[in-house]
Amino acid sequence: MRRGGGGGLALLLAPALFIGAFAGWPALILIETSVAHQDLSGMARPALEFGHFAELARPTFLRPLATSFALALATAVIAVGVAFPVTWLIARLRRRAQVAWLVCLLTSLSLSEVLIVFAWQTLLSARVGLTAPLVWLGLLQRPVSLSPSLGAALACLVYLVLPYVILLLYPAVSRLDPEIPQAAATMGASPARAILTVVAPILRAPLITAALGVMVTTVGAYLTPLVLAKPQQWTVGIVISRSVMEDGNAPLGAAQAVGVVALMIILLAASRRLTRDGAP
Amino acid sequence: MPGLSPWGRLLLTVTAIVLAAPLVVVAAVSLNASHRMFFPPASVSLRWYGVFFGDPAWRASLGASLLVATCASLLSTAVALPIAYGAWRHGSAAARWLGSAGSVLFLMPGIVSAMMFVIFWGAVRHVGRLENIIFSHAAVFLALPVAIISVGLQAIDRGLIEAAGTMGADEAAAFRLVIRPAITPHVICGALFVFVLSLNEYLIAYMVSGFTTPTLPIRIFDTMRAGYEPTMCVAAVVFMAIGLAVFSALAVFGDLPRLLGRETALEG
Repeated sequence: MRRGGGGGLALLLAPALFIGAFAGWPALILIETSVAHQDLSGMARPALEFGHFAELARPTFLRPLATSFALALATAVIAVGVAFPVTWLIARLRRRAQVAWLVCLLTSLSLSEVLIVFAWQTLLSARVGLTAPLVWLGLLQRPVSLSPSLGAALACLVYLVLPYVILLLYPAVSRLDPEIPQAAATMGASPARAILTVVAPILRAPLITAALGVMVTTVGAYLTPLVLAKPQQWTVGIVISRSVMEDGNAPLGAAQAVGVVALMIILLAASRRLTRDGAP
Repeated sequence: MPGLSPWGRLLLTVTAIVLAAPLVVVAAVSLNASHRMFFPPASVSLRWYGVFFGDPAWRASLGASLLVATCASLLSTAVALPIAYGAWRHGSAAARWLGSAGSVLFLMPGIVSAMMFVIFWGAVRHVGRLENIIFSHAAVFLALPVAIISVGLQAIDRGLIEAAGTMGADEAAAFRLVIRPAITPHVICGALFVFVLSLNEYLIAYMVSGFTTPTLPIRIFDTMRAGYEPTMCVAAVVFMAIGLAVFSALAVFGDLPRLLGRETALEG
């Protein structure tokens, strides 16, 4: 704010209006709707009712909530566990190979979830036959479809977030001094061991950030569990969208959305505290 | 791959195969000559590509998707640039606050932001229009151009700005002569990210668009729910081609490793 502080602020007027109108206002309306009154005609009227929040304690919401968080946690652990060594290897490649990897990762990251879900459904179907080799080995009677199942949804979610995690870890991993694992190697550690015991602790913060990022995005998963999991394995994302789009109960959907965000904020705050306490 | 152990090479190869597998299957299935889904295709033809591009409904969806993605990316980048610039140049607390406030939406689960926007567009009595998707996408993806442009600005040597000032350049001239050339690749990169993500976004588009022309992901999903149609595989291949073209262009015209956050230069 040295010279022309006023000019700097004038520049921010349009962005402030945009964010106020398309982020702040919708957030306020969401909260307002979550305590609104839903009358029998299906219209929501302003009120201060907490009845919809009471419904969050029912198994119809708690079970999908538990499924969502379990699925998100499993996705985060697997994706970061795979992405970390892969990012490490990519960052060691020659420039051309590295650029090719980055282009392919960005392309795969930019593919619609719709397409990836469809591709996995095709890949896991009996017709395309990922199970055909098992039949040939005599382990299965005939080719079977591997979806819908929770495993299919988990595999697809890991696939969806993997490029994100690799690109998130890439800056930190590429910045790391390559001599650190070499030093570990001269002291007799194998490359895999050096990565686990020397590199991973240094990159603790980005690894945890990446895992939390995956959890946050995966908790709201909608398409993948809708197509690849059984109805009893559906997630909160599906429950919320059905409250609004099919039952026409916007206040309930809003309360569910607010509930999910509140739970997430609590978990993030707790994990942040945990990582801070553990830090040197 | 120099300096990689055999195990490292194996891991990279397996990852590449797994990442490619579903896409290869879909691309191969799109080449089937018959209406049934075979893998590998029983006989190869480009028949369904003709059907896809000849069908006015698919073409309209492709057009709607491209329009939404272009507008959302321009809008989002236009909002992001002053925020990133204000935070860097003036150290403005207001700009930094706006940057965080604008990024919160991106960090929320997609279903929550979709809920927010469906209720919001209902409350402002502007339901079921294509521009609803544009504004919603621009707001949700704002975090990306803000972050990418900020990285570009931080690489600029502040001494250059001071020097421009001593030589009589005002803020506008300094921006034009020093800052703009340095951050142009980052601005383009941020815009492309929003473009590609908006092009592929399903949930928000589905919830706020109502009965307007469905965007490509919505039409693909509807087709998928109704059963199998070979044209949806063609649509998938069209998407892959757009993504690959956009990011290859970025790699040719810009320093991709640096844009994605690598600080040390690479040779070769």
